[in-house]
Order: sequence, then structure tokens, then C-alpha cells
Amino acid sequence: MVGAHAGKAHRDERIAVAVLSTCSAIFVLAIALILFYLAWSGTKLFFVDHVSPFTFLFSSDWDGLSGKFGAAPFIAGSLVATGFAILVGGPLGVAIGVFFSELAPERVALAFKPAIEVLVGIPSVVYGWLGLTLLVPLIGRVFHSGGDGLLAAGIVLSIMILPTVISLSEDALKVVPTSLREGSAALGATRWETISRVLIPSASSGLAVAVILGIARAIGETLAVQLVLGNAAVIPTSLLKPASALTAEIVMDMGDAPDGSPFQHALFSMAFLLLLIAMALIVLIRIALRRRA
Amino acid sequence: MARAIAPPAPLSARLSGDRARSRRIVDRIATGLLWTSASTVVGLLLIFVGYLFVKGAGVVTWHFLTGSPSASEAGGGVGPLIFNSFYILFLTLLFTVPVALCAGMYLQEYAGPGRFRDLVQFSAESLATVPSIVMGLFGLLIFVQTFHWHFTALGGALTLTLLNLPAMMRVTQEALAGVPATLREASMGLGATKWQTVLRAILPSAIGPLTTGVVLVAGRIFGETAALIFTAGASVSYGKSAYDFNPFHTAETLAVGLYQTHREALVPDADAIGNGSALVLLVMVLAFNVIARVVGRRLTIHFTGKA
Repeated sequence: MVGAHAGKAHRDERIAVAVLSTCSAIFVLAIALILFYLAWSGTKLFFVDHVSPFTFLFSSDWDGLSGKFGAAPFIAGSLVATGFAILVGGPLGVAIGVFFSELAPERVALAFKPAIEVLVGIPSVVYGWLGLTLLVPLIGRVFHSGGDGLLAAGIVLSIMILPTVISLSEDALKVVPTSLREGSAALGATRWETISRVLIPSASSGLAVAVILGIARAIGETLAVQLVLGNAAVIPTSLLKPASALTAEIVMDMGDAPDGSPFQHALFSMAFLLLLIAMALIVLIRIALRRRA
Repeated sequence: MARAIAPPAPLSARLSGDRARSRRIVDRIATGLLWTSASTVVGLLLIFVGYLFVKGAGVVTWHFLTGSPSASEAGGGVGPLIFNSFYILFLTLLFTVPVALCAGMYLQEYAGPGRFRDLVQFSAESLATVPSIVMGLFGLLIFVQTFHWHFTALGGALTLTLLNLPAMMRVTQEALAGVPATLREASMGLGATKWQTVLRAILPSAIGPLTTGVVLVAGRIFGETAALIFTAGASVSYGKSAYDFNPFHTAETLAVGLYQTHREALVPDADAIGNGSALVLLVMVLAFNVIARVVGRRLTIHFTGKA
């Protein structure tokens, strides 16, 4: 009796381990397949259609339907919009992370935190819609321009990366030992001196991770950006003129590109480039975290 | 939180002189700026919510919520789109929850430190940073171009599964990590096997945070757009009924619909439909947030007796 019971428990245990580890392996398989398929489809432009990678990366001559595959305008657009978002949203997000970790009275935190969580949940297409109907006309009126362009995209992205940066930098600051705060205060430092000279330096790698994940979110953002950019395949010369970005161009053109055409291959190359950037950011995060350890 | 730092340092306050005063002024300015930053963001959210309500409230009627989209005339609704959103959400959760739950349990309770655990963790992190549109193109390559399913609800749901597995696994891991070690020890001490412990002691006491997490992820799936355009498609299938349960039919969701209203809508009231759709999406996000918290708390009380 007892033996049979123990035998069944033992068998259940083995089945459980097998099922659970298989589910874990799905993660590894999934990312491997994604990398493989996108590398495969994303390099056809170079190996099948014989477009030089140099042309793809640095030429600004783009017309998918007539065989011109210079993606430089989109790469530049993505970099400028993301750079803007990091310059504005990065410091603002870290500041609010500091606010929640060091300043906010409990009641204020309880009131403000749900707001941040709602900001995370708002779908990117709704941000795009807000950008299109609220922000673009506003920019147009203030700067006497069309309103759409990299400034609008940068502002929308700044807001969209905030929740990520805020919550990760708050976490990074909270793990700084209290004794450091006490030591600093005992030496006569004001609260701001403690924050700027003790807490931020000792949380620096965690803060770096917060900003890097903000970059990852910004560079991959698609619809919010597409809706406010104005979509012109030119190297951006002004924040107030229509521009485009890697993600925006993919979503704009994919429906028009015939299956298996060089045009479609070029769009897959752009997706592969985005994937490579995302992977590079993951590696950067690993390096930042290892430095902390 | 804030209590960790003593209020303006007493020692510097006692030091007289210009330097001490200027340090105090800098401290005040910094404090003011930090408060301003946080208030600005909350203010922005209030503006967004207020704007969407003002613009969309007049549009959202029962007819709008249940009616079929119109191809060229004003007065169309978004009923089938809302249905498709829920249908794809349901399919996605059907795949995501079991796999992510099992993987989370494995990493948190079974796998010791080692190469396999590192590999799964690294894969999950990488998967989490794949941009939504890139995942959409992967879905297009696999489900549309390789399997020849064309645009389908199932293809969309599987693509969203890949996109949301990491978040769901993280939710599981965090929920399980919150269970006190004494519970594990007590269960194992009573002679339970590891699996019995996980299934009957740990999972029930983690059910509150687990549910909260699942509902929050569900909210994100509901609003996902870029990954669906080229997998589930951007048109409503014209089957026998507007409410189409066939997972192999095209299924445009509400979020994709909102995107399309700007891109290629031919109806004269496209702006109104956009405003209405945006409001419905926002209200859904708020609802998912509230449900997540209420249900999570209820379940925690029910299963652990703790508030």
C-alpha cells in the first residue's frame, strides 16, 4: 500500500519535472527560431537580390517598388527619435524613480503609483492616436509647421518609456543599503547631496539598465511613431519636418510589398536590424549587471 | 521608502554662513523639481484620460459597441472588432498561461543554478526585448507564409503568445518568490514530494499575486497592435455572422481597427470612430487594472487568510 503510494508520487514527480523543463525549453527554442528565421529572411536582400549591405545601411535612396533599397533615412529617424526620448525621458524617469524611492510620502506614492501603472497599460496605438490628434496639432500651432515629425515622435516616445525607466530606477535605488543614506546624513549632507553624490553613483549600474531598457522600448515602438512621423523617406534635417523610422516604414510598406520580392526582403532586413539592436542592448544590460556583481 | 533619509540634515542646518545656506537652497530646489517631475507625469495621464473621455464619450453608444463596421457610410460600429480582441486574448492566454506557469515553476522551484537555468533566463530576457513589429513579421513568416494559414486569429494569438511568454513567466516567478520558505519546509517536512509541495502548498498561497499578474498581462495583450496587423490581419472576416469563432479566419481587433481608421478608412466619420475606439481601449485598460487588484486581493485572502 505505502509502497504503491510512494511509487505513484515518485512517478508524478518525474512527469512534473519532464513537463516543466519542456515548457522552459520552449523559451530557448522560440528565441532561436526567431533569430534563425529573421536572419534567413533578413539577409536574402544581400545574398539573393545582391544588394550591397553598404547600400542598405548608408544610401538614402529609397523606393521599394523600383528597387532602391537605401535604408539610411529610417535608421537615422529611429536613432534621432530614440535619442530624443532618452535625453528627455531618461533623466525625467530617473528623477521620478528617485522621487518614489526617497521623497514620496506614503499617501502620495499610493496615489501616484496607479497612475504610472495605467500609463504602462495604455496601448501604443492609443498613444499614437493621442499624438496624432492632440500633440501634432499643438506642435503645428506652436512652431508654425505641419506638426508631424521627429519632435512629435520624440515626445510621444519620451512619455512611453517613462514607466519602464521609473520603475526600474526606483528598484535600483531601493536596494542601496540604508546605512549609506544614514552615513551620508550623519556627515551633514543635505537630502539632495545624499541623492546626487551617494545614492545615484551607487545605483549607477541599475540606473543604466533602466535607461537601456528604455532605449529598447523606444527603438522598437512602431504605431505610436508611425502615426506622428509624417512618413517621408528622407534623412531628417529638422525635428519639425516629416521623417520616418525603421519600425514605421515596415508597418507602412509591408502590405504593398509582394511576397518574395526584393522589396519585402528589404523590409525583413530592417526587422533583422531591429532584432540585432535589441540583442545588443540585452548584452549591454548583462555587462552592466555583471559590473555590479 | 522616504523615511530612510532624515529630513534636511540637522548638522548643516546648524552651520551658519553662505555656503550652508546655498546648500539648503539647492536642496529645496532639487526637492521642488522632483515633486514637479512626478506631478507632471500624473498630470499628463489626467490630460490623456480627460481628452479621450471628452472626445469619445459622445461616440460610444450601444450601437457603436455592437454594430458592424461600415465600408463607406457613416454610423458603423466596432462590435466584431471588440469580439475579436477578446477572442484573440482568450486564445493567447490559453497558450501563454500554462507554458509560462510551468516554466516559471521550473525556474523558481526546481532548477538549481546552472547552465540550463541561465540559458532559459537569457532566452526569456531576449524574447522580452524583441519589438512587437519584429515579432509580427516572424508570425507572418511562419504562420502566413510557411503554414499558408493566411491571416488568422490563431496565427495572431500564437504570435502574441511568443511576445507575452516572458512577462507571464516573470509574473509567475515573482509570485512564487513571495511565498515564505517556511511553507516549503513544512510541506516537505510532512513527507510531501516536491511536486506535491508546489501544487498544493506553494501555488495556492501565490494565487493572489499570480492572478493580478495574469490580468495585467491580459490588459497588455488586449491592446497589442503591431504584432497583429500582419498575422491576424486588418479586416473583419465576412463569415455568416460578425462574431466569428473560427480560429482560421481573419480577425481584426479593436486596436488594429483604431490604427486602420487613420490609415485607410473611407468612412466620413473615421475620426469619431477613432475617438470612440481609443476611449474603449482606455476604459478596458483601466478595467483590467482594477480587476487585477480586486481579484488578486480577494484570492489572497481566500487562500492564505492574509489581507
